[in-house]
Amino acid sequence: MLRKEQNDYLTQTDPGTPMGDLFRCYWMPALLSEELPEPDCPPVRLKLLGERLIAFRDSEGKLGLIDEFCAHRGVSLWFGRNEECGLRCPYHGWKFDVTGQCVDVPSEPKESGYAQKIKLKSYPLIEKGGVLWTYMGPPEKQPPEPEYEFCTVPLNQTFMTKRIQECNWLQAMEGGIDSSHVSFLHRGDLSNDPLFKGAAGNKYNMQDLSPVFEVVEHDGGLLIGARRNAEDDQYYWRITPWVMPCYTGVPPRGDHPMHGHFWVPIDDHSCWAWSYDYHPTRPLTEGEVAAMKAGKGIHVRYVPGTYRPLANKDNDYLMDRAAQKAGKTFSGIEGIGMQDASLQESMGPICDRTKENLVGTDNGIIMARHRLMRSAKALKEKGVIPPGVDPEHHKVRQAALLLPRDVQYKDGAKEALKAKKGVRQASV
Amino acid sequence: MQSESARVTTAQEARYRIQYPNSKTRAVKIIALDAPSAQIIDELAKQPWSGATFFRALSFSAESTPGRAGEGLSSWLNDLAGRTLDLVGEVASSDFIVVVSAAGEDARAVSVIADACTAHHKTLVALVVPREGATDADVTASMGHLRPFARMLVIAHDADYIAAMLTALRA
Repeated sequence: MLRKEQNDYLTQTDPGTPMGDLFRCYWMPALLSEELPEPDCPPVRLKLLGERLIAFRDSEGKLGLIDEFCAHRGVSLWFGRNEECGLRCPYHGWKFDVTGQCVDVPSEPKESGYAQKIKLKSYPLIEKGGVLWTYMGPPEKQPPEPEYEFCTVPLNQTFMTKRIQECNWLQAMEGGIDSSHVSFLHRGDLSNDPLFKGAAGNKYNMQDLSPVFEVVEHDGGLLIGARRNAEDDQYYWRITPWVMPCYTGVPPRGDHPMHGHFWVPIDDHSCWAWSYDYHPTRPLTEGEVAAMKAGKGIHVRYVPGTYRPLANKDNDYLMDRAAQKAGKTFSGIEGIGMQDASLQESMGPICDRTKENLVGTDNGIIMARHRLMRSAKALKEKGVIPPGVDPEHHKVRQAALLLPRDVQYKDGAKEALKAKKGVRQASV
Repeated sequence: MQSESARVTTAQEARYRIQYPNSKTRAVKIIALDAPSAQIIDELAKQPWSGATFFRALSFSAESTPGRAGEGLSSWLNDLAGRTLDLVGEVASSDFIVVVSAAGEDARAVSVIADACTAHHKTLVALVVPREGATDADVTASMGHLRPFARMLVIAHDADYIAAMLTALRA
């Protein structure tokens, strides 16, 4: 349970809000590289943290992320012409470069220097691992580039999608650190989904429906361990890392690619759910990529031409009561991503946490909230750089492994939880 | 026509969510297993709580666990006023139990509490809190004591997490 003011504190990310200031300390995924595929391609409008922006790749391939609206009369530059190293407003021809600097005001003499006095707000946009990342904080505090393992392996070892989720970022992200729902909501997918099935560890999930949890803080966030009984005096551990503020990793299964999410606020009522899959030591197979593109695993199928899931609130998520009744799916919704999203969106645009009744096994969620609030407060009051900004904090892996019962995972899985180039993931 | 899911998930519709209470006050018993933890819960107890009550395990070492001298579990807990209470009775009348252990302190007393929890089907949540000078090995030792008994084991870096957790759990 949160008091209303606490809920507001955590869920509001517009400029000037405490959580908005916190998010503005980090590099965040903004677009897929495929959205700006080549120089002078069409610009893309987007909204992040309550700010309307436009992204483009100029004639020289430089990336720009600037205020969406022309400084002259407020026209959306989405209608603009991306040409000759700038985005030109089609209304009166004002032109802006990737830094937001106005470089041409056709109605004024060039010699007047008028254009130099006009500049749109801009943010850096960098390309890494098939993702375009932005940092929306003060320029003097821009951190080093992100080092999440999925964006540092060769491109043929990684696959990223995104989907719009029509609810606040926090209730979406909390699903990513809530291990206890898997045995219910996703139970059908462990044996059916091509990106999950066949792993030896799946049997432990199915045999032991009452996992025991351990929550441990790490430098960048939390490690949430769920243990289940296994043979030979061992426990089967599934360890979920959360890196502040919105990165989560799903413990792997067998030699399947590892996956997880970023949950990036668009505004207070919607967010981007980014879904990555990667393998640390080998290229993804054609079959794996085909499955991901077909919406398997944590990915979804789309409304053609959009990043909106094909199953969405406008069609009641293609609810299939017969499949639910037959036990094919637990909730009647197909696919892991939409099983989560449908329930999280059903909470409403912002979950009313004044009415929730958490239990002891929800401590991962409770501690994540606590760390977010504590960090936002320390940032606001003392300027303390929050956890997860340092790229060293990104070098954490999810893990699934068997450990003797008298060994705790923070020790027994210590090496398995570190991202190491060329070293296979710890997975059962 | 707008689907039902689209219609009912708007901010406007959220206004019509029923505002009647959906739960009763929970009886949460918080037990300090050692002297440093007892200091922490002494402070915590000064805050207003709905259904939380705070205790100290009467003995902080398994070797001198009450009961060995014939007192049984009836003299195993103290409340903060110093009154001796019956452990089993307190567990039985709780909704769940939280034990607090400072890193590196002797946490073996948890086994007795866990037995009472098992007998009465109560969930036991264990928190390891920081202690000045405690090492990583101390944390490991504490976790080792608590792990066999806790349904949820949490290692908190700051003592104010206990208050945050109890608030979140409506204690």
